[in-house]
Amino acid sequence: MTPNGIPLVQVVGLKKYYPIGGNIFSPGKLKVHAVDDVSFTIPAGKSLGLVGESGCGKTTTGKLLTRLIDPTAGKILIADEKNNLVDLAALKGAELKRFRRRVQMIFQDPYESLNPRLTIFDIVAEPLAVQGIGTVLDREVMVAKMLEQVGLTPATSFMFRYPHELSGGQRQRVAIARALVINPSFVVADEPTSMLDVSIRTGVMNLMMDLAQKLEVSYLYITHDLAVARYTSDDLAVMYMGKIVEYGPTEEVLHHPLHPYTRALISAVPVPDPTFKRGAPEIKGSISKPINPLPRCRFYERCPIAAKVCEDNDHPPLEDKGGGHQVACYRV
Amino acid sequence: MAEKPLLSVRDLSMIYKTRKGAVSAIDHVSFDLRRGESLGLVGESGCGKTSVAMALLRLLPDNAQITGGQILLDGVDLIQLSEEEMQNIRWKRISMVFQAAMNALDPVYKVGDQIVEAIERHERDIDPAEARKRVEALFKLVGIDPKMADRYPHEFSGGMRQRAIIAMALACNPDLIIADEPTTALDVIVQDQVLRELRQVQKQMGMSMIYISHDIAVIAEVAERIAIMYAGRMCELASAVEIFKRPRHPYTVALMSAFPSIVGEKRPLVALGGEPPDLLFPPPGCRFHPRCPRALDICKQQQPPFEDIGGGHYLACWNPAPVVEVQS
Repeated sequence: MTPNGIPLVQVVGLKKYYPIGGNIFSPGKLKVHAVDDVSFTIPAGKSLGLVGESGCGKTTTGKLLTRLIDPTAGKILIADEKNNLVDLAALKGAELKRFRRRVQMIFQDPYESLNPRLTIFDIVAEPLAVQGIGTVLDREVMVAKMLEQVGLTPATSFMFRYPHELSGGQRQRVAIARALVINPSFVVADEPTSMLDVSIRTGVMNLMMDLAQKLEVSYLYITHDLAVARYTSDDLAVMYMGKIVEYGPTEEVLHHPLHPYTRALISAVPVPDPTFKRGAPEIKGSISKPINPLPRCRFYERCPIAAKVCEDNDHPPLEDKGGGHQVACYRV
Repeated sequence: MAEKPLLSVRDLSMIYKTRKGAVSAIDHVSFDLRRGESLGLVGESGCGKTSVAMALLRLLPDNAQITGGQILLDGVDLIQLSEEEMQNIRWKRISMVFQAAMNALDPVYKVGDQIVEAIERHERDIDPAEARKRVEALFKLVGIDPKMADRYPHEFSGGMRQRAIIAMALACNPDLIIADEPTTALDVIVQDQVLRELRQVQKQMGMSMIYISHDIAVIAEVAERIAIMYAGRMCELASAVEIFKRPRHPYTVALMSAFPSIVGEKRPLVALGGEPPDLLFPPPGCRFHPRCPRALDICKQQQPPFEDIGGGHYLACWNPAPVVEVQS
């Protein structure tokens, strides 16, 4: 376990560029800057919410942190069992495989992320089998315990069923069990509740938060829904076109947003109260793809307060405005 | 009420025939829709809200069967109409905006031409130039540059496509527009723009609207009255303010307490246990009773009537939650 204060995850200058066009002999000159120089820290026991619109690079960031894809540049430092920070981006082969015990992922769609031909036991036991942890009998005990913990009780009545026999909410609980069964310290959860109905969603959200405390897991919680992020994240990072534009404690960012993009995003969220009058978000145009972006603020074209300084200089760095509330904007 | 409602649905019941038996998708659903009113229809996947919409348009799959009730549009029962008569109702009187905007537009035709075609099909004697003009006006109305009429669907962004679909739905100046989760696939900023456009156009043209969604926050913004459905039945129907401030059905209360908001105090979210029932074998009595924290013995045996409990607040519950002003 990592004592407080020591970072569990530290991402430094993470980049992922995808070439477009070209062929296998000459890669295209144009590149999509899906994730462009992103840095953040997740302390042990805390969860970070990563929010933004479709295509902003939040899922790519999640995949990089689990090394499902390889970064173009940057460091992904994750604490090992002895609290030494190890660069996940530099690991290969057996070392990388061993490190996967520490880092797991929960996907959005429980109808696609579970193998329909495997029983629930086989699905949840697979990470244990891959890592060679325990005998088959040990695994049965571990899986049963994990299923009970995610609320699939009694475990024996679920273990030898198939995914198609379960509802969406139950499937997502299986996916959570699979991610947590090898006792990881860090889990990337990519929109884990966005496919679920409200009455089921809250149960799964609450379960994930309970387990985070009980099992001392930190999440990178990726979501497009700011209201969900409010309930699942201690800190919040807002992404726009591959960049983090605002970062800080969740309530602080939601109630005192500083970046014009965050302000627009927050004011566009519908409020479940018919007497609440919401102002129109101040934003121009629509989102585009960061293909070889010009050296200026990424938000320049859509920004209501853009000035010459935003066009003449490269994208602004994140700057601390007090209390760990960081903003990347020349005009704030 | 002096004014006759535009649409009056009475005891509508519908089943889907499957190999395993009959799925009771809609069971004795009743509601009225006034002229110029927007009604929100809320519920979770499989609660029958889309089935209601499809039944209103008589666009049901082959295995669906309406087993009872009436759908009265200005006093005419749509269930009794022939398919030919129904074609004159669709688009002209009732039109629909679906969730999947990409699938609703033909990728090989220019967007403007598709709308012109829709107009010409329903108004045979219209002059092509006039149809063209109307498309331009509609595009302006929903906030798209009229020049975009000569572009293909792939050149439109998601939000623009959804607006084009709305323009198409408005093309024949219908009395009623049914919007089924039209913004669910969109990002919040685009969703906000489309919602504003839709509300404004609905008010401006004096249309009635049924807005279907699982998202009570979106419903709170578009609907004047809200109907809550669960497992094929109507639970509660009242004005938006009444539903949000004084919910009486335990399911409505559960929905409210499970829904996160970014404004106001961060209150703990309460999850509702259990799962919706399998409508092949719906539970006896109130269909919500297996999950209901307030269930009594009677709830397991007898279906509660859907009745006005005062001031147009309709409720189907034997043991309603006490009136507590919900603070927002």
